[in-house]
Amino acid sequence: MNSIRKAGIITLLLLTFSLSGCLTDEVIEAIESDDPCMAGVQVRESDGTLKILTYDIAGFSDELIAQFVNQTGTEVEFIKTDDAGGILDQMMLTKAAPQADLMIGLDNTYLPTAIQNCLLMSHNVSDESFTQSSLEFYQGPLAVPFDEGDVCLNYDEDALAADNMSVPTSLWNLTEPEWNGKMTFPSPMTSSPGRAFLAATVDYFGHSPGNQSGDMASWWTAIVQNGAIFTSGWSESYVTYYTGGYGEYMEGHIGGAYLTVSYCHSPGVEAYYAENYTHSTSLVLPRASFHQVEYTGIINGAAEVDAANQFIEFITSMEVNVNMPDYNSMYSVLDGTDLPETNGYRYHADQAIVSNAITQEMIEQNMESWLTTWQNAVQMG
Amino acid sequence: MALAAIQPPNELFLRNSDTTVRVLAIALFTLGSTLPFVYALTRLEYVTSWTVWQAFTEFGNVYGGMDALRFTLLEAIASSILTIIIGLPVAWCLSRYQWKRIRMLRALIAVPFVTPSIVAAMGFLSLIRQDGILTKIGIDLRLETGIVGWFAEVSGWNHPGHFLALIIAHAWFNLSLMIRFVEPTLSSLDPAWEEQLSVLPQGQSRIARMKYLWIPVIGPAVLCAAALSFLFSFTSFALVKWLTPTSFTLESLMAESGSAAGIVGYRIDSSELIYSVALVQFFILLLTLWMTSVLQKRYSQRLSLLSEPGVRTHHGPPSITAKIIIMLGVAFTLLPFLSVVISSFQVRQITEGSVERNWTLDGWSNAWSGDMSTMAVGEAMSNSIIYAICTLLIALPLGWILASTIFKLEQTGWSKFSKILDLFCMLPLAVSALMVGLGVLLGGLRWYPEMFGWFLLPVYPHVLLTVPFVVRIMLPAYQSLDPAFSEQCRMLNLSSTRSWYHGTFMFLRGPAVVAGSLTLAFSLGEFGASWLLVRSGSWDTLSIVVDQLMSRPNFDPLIHTTAMAAATMLMLLTFTLFVLAERFRAHDDRSGF
Repeated sequence: MNSIRKAGIITLLLLTFSLSGCLTDEVIEAIESDDPCMAGVQVRESDGTLKILTYDIAGFSDELIAQFVNQTGTEVEFIKTDDAGGILDQMMLTKAAPQADLMIGLDNTYLPTAIQNCLLMSHNVSDESFTQSSLEFYQGPLAVPFDEGDVCLNYDEDALAADNMSVPTSLWNLTEPEWNGKMTFPSPMTSSPGRAFLAATVDYFGHSPGNQSGDMASWWTAIVQNGAIFTSGWSESYVTYYTGGYGEYMEGHIGGAYLTVSYCHSPGVEAYYAENYTHSTSLVLPRASFHQVEYTGIINGAAEVDAANQFIEFITSMEVNVNMPDYNSMYSVLDGTDLPETNGYRYHADQAIVSNAITQEMIEQNMESWLTTWQNAVQMG
Repeated sequence: MALAAIQPPNELFLRNSDTTVRVLAIALFTLGSTLPFVYALTRLEYVTSWTVWQAFTEFGNVYGGMDALRFTLLEAIASSILTIIIGLPVAWCLSRYQWKRIRMLRALIAVPFVTPSIVAAMGFLSLIRQDGILTKIGIDLRLETGIVGWFAEVSGWNHPGHFLALIIAHAWFNLSLMIRFVEPTLSSLDPAWEEQLSVLPQGQSRIARMKYLWIPVIGPAVLCAAALSFLFSFTSFALVKWLTPTSFTLESLMAESGSAAGIVGYRIDSSELIYSVALVQFFILLLTLWMTSVLQKRYSQRLSLLSEPGVRTHHGPPSITAKIIIMLGVAFTLLPFLSVVISSFQVRQITEGSVERNWTLDGWSNAWSGDMSTMAVGEAMSNSIIYAICTLLIALPLGWILASTIFKLEQTGWSKFSKILDLFCMLPLAVSALMVGLGVLLGGLRWYPEMFGWFLLPVYPHVLLTVPFVVRIMLPAYQSLDPAFSEQCRMLNLSSTRSWYHGTFMFLRGPAVVAGSLTLAFSLGEFGASWLLVRSGSWDTLSIVVDQLMSRPNFDPLIHTTAMAAATMLMLLTFTLFVLAERFRAHDDRSGF
């Protein structure tokens, strides 16, 4: 009897303990909907380590990080997500209890949402040496560009030649029978290049000559009807289906798609790692590309603000940022830099014809409705 | 009170503390396994403004939901059928003859079940590559030429290659289930039955013998293995993610949207998807578990069984056909492992558009050194080992106490309570690894957001996922305990502790080692829950490192080699533990995998 009572008391204590920390929905909502840009923001508890939220960026070396640690005396720890979307999700999810001080990797299709939700705080890094193109989209105190590149369509030159197909001169060409089943697109719902290309199509079909045969929604519907393959991420499109990329040497490759969404300089990256060989090239059509800028910024509620500022300065320094083509297969954002010439990296990288019609405000206000339009258009197809 | 009066005080204390420990264990497991889900559901209900019923009924309208359900059912059913087709002949041959190294053969065929799913995925990816072993023997599952291309053409099935690779991988994974369920019955079945039937008119033909003997005898066991195979294929994540990257199962669909779920006013479609899909998946898995338990009851009905060595002696040494079948089975088991190891030493080199594979150690040196975006293998391995040890320290005693409590309830006439507790312990299996991770993620967020900073957070889902296996291994061991030993200990007037040690513990040591090794192996290879939770921290495990490397743009050929080296490390770590556990296993013990 005694033991049962004792056990009962312990169970009751356990239940009370587990439920006592439970926040009511109202409290959660208050935390999440109050303006955290102002005073009420939760600050992460300082532990002397700079925590960086990022995606799987292709490799700053350990030596580089050791260099920063030696210079500043601050330890660095990385928290990794899948991609830019994952970074935003993570910041939103832990808004009430931030887990990191600095984010690296939100691009200009996600940045407006982060700013709108007050997920970032001011930095004190000067942007004097940045390229004009990297500052065009956003030049404020909440985010600093660290790399850039143009998202555009890539196609397999050899496959087109073998099948006697002509290079498209308009996005509408892709709705013609000869392209049936030969295109793959990453979904804008789950992929940042996919999102960037969606923004490009908004621009393309919002202006002539793109809009002469219909709007963005009807093009996406026609693309679905023409057998386009949609995947959740860039990798699935580029590696699994695209015949022009390195995917053809990988295990999971299926092939069949002669065209996909990637970067205008992707053929250059292909050549760089394949001894100046590639049969992939970019489709450079006016307004059919999107200039993607990737940012770093201090997370609202950061504990190590000084160290975060120092790290921003570090990765935007000439010494480090000039290596972006190598580290992250993207352009440096600093004036006077370019892609390396080794193995045809620069030679095979095409220049996009971009417009600046898609602004931060447009994305902030319209991205949700563009995604809904896209989803409906694809479902109609 | 009267009992207390006649018992020595320390005995009474032990009894009381024994009950306290049991109640505490039940309370801990109950709270630990239900609260995250209750919190997560409340959270999703609040964010979506849907009731549970609405979430169910809206499933058809959730983006991608119906497609994912169709694909999940298709691949899980196909995988179960293939498991029977491949596993049954192997189990048949293994159980009917006198094999020289039967324990080694069993262990080899059991290895896939404890292999981390990400390693299996890498193994099968390597097998189906352009110059992989399967392609070389004419089975081109990648570009679908040859026989696979012919099959695609005849069936009109667009790209069946990757689907076939997935179900073969699932059959490989679940092969040991078939051995585990079928072999004990067949290897101890009285041969007189077969002989008697063959002289009766109903037993003249092979089909008749099948109908009147084999199907009734091994049918329930085969169905039981198939049901579990369905369950594991239904919730498979890493294999689906890597082998059929363009098709979604319910599990991978949830994984895709998991990171954006449960946030007020943000990507509500993700919360709706998770809410709806999780409920449908839970319902289907619960149904499967119930079916498995019904089949298991039928399976456990005892037939006329003899001692295993006697039956094997009766059947004699294996025939040539049996030898070939077992050799093929073992080769099937080992091929993906060999393929991963070989790939970890090869790097692709493109020269004028043609690909060559050069031998290199760079993948290994890269894996050990790591870089900013990928943790070094050594560090990830220490994380994996810390999580596995912590999981073992909690799950083994917890599962052990729960199993002993179920047994005690059975013995003392509380059979209803014992059944309820038994079923409850299996509940985490009805929620997949990813759902457990989501529960912890969303439930934890609501309850205590600072939890995301905890280094040991992944241990929580690992414990929930491994306790059911510990219970499943320890409970039969308890049930087969001979009470005479404990009685003899008491007659010798040994203390309670010593009685327990000599009368119980000594007989449970073997199953406990098996349960422990399985716990370690499952924790080391756990992917779904960790995949979601380590994104909140920087505590990557080896499984996650492999996935991260493979997910990166692989323009640089060395990234792929590095991923294979990390997968090989994980594989070696799991095998070492498995082999160590095998050494401790009692000679006649087949209580685990």
